[in-house]
Amino acid sequence: MVSQQELIREARENGMELLPLEKDTYELFFGPQHMATENYSLILKMDGHRVVKAIANVGFLHRGFEKLAEYRPWHTNIALLLRICVPEPDVPEAIYSMAVDEIMGWEVPDRAQWIRTTVLEMARVSAYLFWIMGLSFKLGVYTAGQWAAAYRERLMALFEQLTGGRVYHIYTIPGGVRRDIPGDRWLRELKDTVEYIKAKLKDFDNLLFENYIAHRRLEGIGVMDKKFALAEGVTGPNLRATGVAYDVRRADPYLLYPELDFEVPVLKEGDALARAMIRRFELEQDLYILEQLLEMGPPSGPYKVQDPRLKNLPRLKVPAGDAFAHVEATKGDFGAYVVSDGKNKPYRVQIRGPSISHGVRVIEQLLVGARLADVPVILMSLDNCPPDIDR
Amino acid sequence: MAEEVKATWPKGEEIVSALLEKAPYAEGSVRRERRLEFKVPADRIVDFLRTAKASGFELLLQITAVDWPNEGEIELVYQLFSISHGTHAMAKTRVPRDDARISSVMDIYPVAETYERDAHEFYKVVFEGNPKLEMPWILEDEDREAGVSHRKDFDMLGYVKKKYKILDRFDEDKENYVI
Repeated sequence: MVSQQELIREARENGMELLPLEKDTYELFFGPQHMATENYSLILKMDGHRVVKAIANVGFLHRGFEKLAEYRPWHTNIALLLRICVPEPDVPEAIYSMAVDEIMGWEVPDRAQWIRTTVLEMARVSAYLFWIMGLSFKLGVYTAGQWAAAYRERLMALFEQLTGGRVYHIYTIPGGVRRDIPGDRWLRELKDTVEYIKAKLKDFDNLLFENYIAHRRLEGIGVMDKKFALAEGVTGPNLRATGVAYDVRRADPYLLYPELDFEVPVLKEGDALARAMIRRFELEQDLYILEQLLEMGPPSGPYKVQDPRLKNLPRLKVPAGDAFAHVEATKGDFGAYVVSDGKNKPYRVQIRGPSISHGVRVIEQLLVGARLADVPVILMSLDNCPPDIDR
Repeated sequence: MAEEVKATWPKGEEIVSALLEKAPYAEGSVRRERRLEFKVPADRIVDFLRTAKASGFELLLQITAVDWPNEGEIELVYQLFSISHGTHAMAKTRVPRDDARISSVMDIYPVAETYERDAHEFYKVVFEGNPKLEMPWILEDEDREAGVSHRKDFDMLGYVKKKYKILDRFDEDKENYVI
């Protein structure tokens, strides 16, 4: 063992300056340029390769959507608010539209409800595939991630045919949806895609979810229990991995979900592996829901509310009132609180992203004692989505 | 209309009356199925949320601040969800605009710390007992110092014009920018 003094002397002989270590710990700025954190930063206080303290440093994606929404007519906010959730932009569209529908007192027609449910489930499948990509890249199982990105591309193509946009759809509007399904061919293609992805789940199991390395990397890290998760407002798969069967689609049903048959997978371990497995089971359930929807077929009728006020959208006035709507996104409980004062612009819009609970306080507590190499894995197992927090 | 809604969801009436029995200072109503609303005086919000948590409202989803300058008040809406009852509830309270302060509820729902930081940053509501209010949150330091807020009386366009003047993108006299 060479002493520190010898090292300093040796360095000086070679024309270098080596400063003595004054403290046992050091600060590490993890992100926002780090690939694993995605526009989000953690200030880690490290002791060797163990985290002693973590501070979530948010705000890199703040664009002031909630304030901007107060200056724009009701329907144009769809094109703004959907940017709050990049992997599944249909969720903010749907919650905002559902809240506005409730204030307006509109009963959305059956066909629009079917289309909205299908679009939300397609968004869930594509967000889960996106998450598989992220997780497998962080674990070093690159093949599974590349496959997931390729399969997601099929859904992107279907979204493009339906809405005209690949990533941002601007499709669900207050009162229904923006346009009708392009035709039976689109439904057949969606059916083929669902079958195709379902057949590929086995490959993901072999490569990722039943992989010895993945299990060794995920097991026992980032553990939280039921009481902690509820107190910290954790929702979605992260909460279900601790043993609470809370799914908004069951607890507060919306759209066509009361008529659909699906299971809510629950595990008790509460570690990163349990969270990953919950997401894998939910992907299977979402594909099953899409199969049921396709078997049901879109009901006939109009695809948006037949209301003369929808003819002149920029002057659409929403009566005074407020409403809260939320849906189950892949990240958790996504909610919108909308207040109207009777004008043609919202008075206040607040979006409740699930990451505001698990991306700030929960991550700060789960990272204590974790190894540096596990930090990206814990972040990915929580499925942290920074734009939810920053808005 | 309200009468009809109440009749269709008797379970909500039971939850409201059971909660109001323990918290007589609040007012409660059923808005529709799975949506409850409570009005609580600002000084009793901690008691009310403690009672609500004990009665099955396990999750605090968000604290929303709404600015009402004409009434001189800021409304704080505590979005609660009960998994056991399967219902959402709003607990609304109002604080004066000039001296917006209220007790922190982070002893009851620890996650409230984050929501309170958010409401403090954008609506300048002071939550007494929250140690992290002054920590950097979403805004940049320069915006914080300039007093950027989401309150209705904050001149957003004026601030943007001043801040980005160097970019020569904004005309001082033009008012009708499409945002």
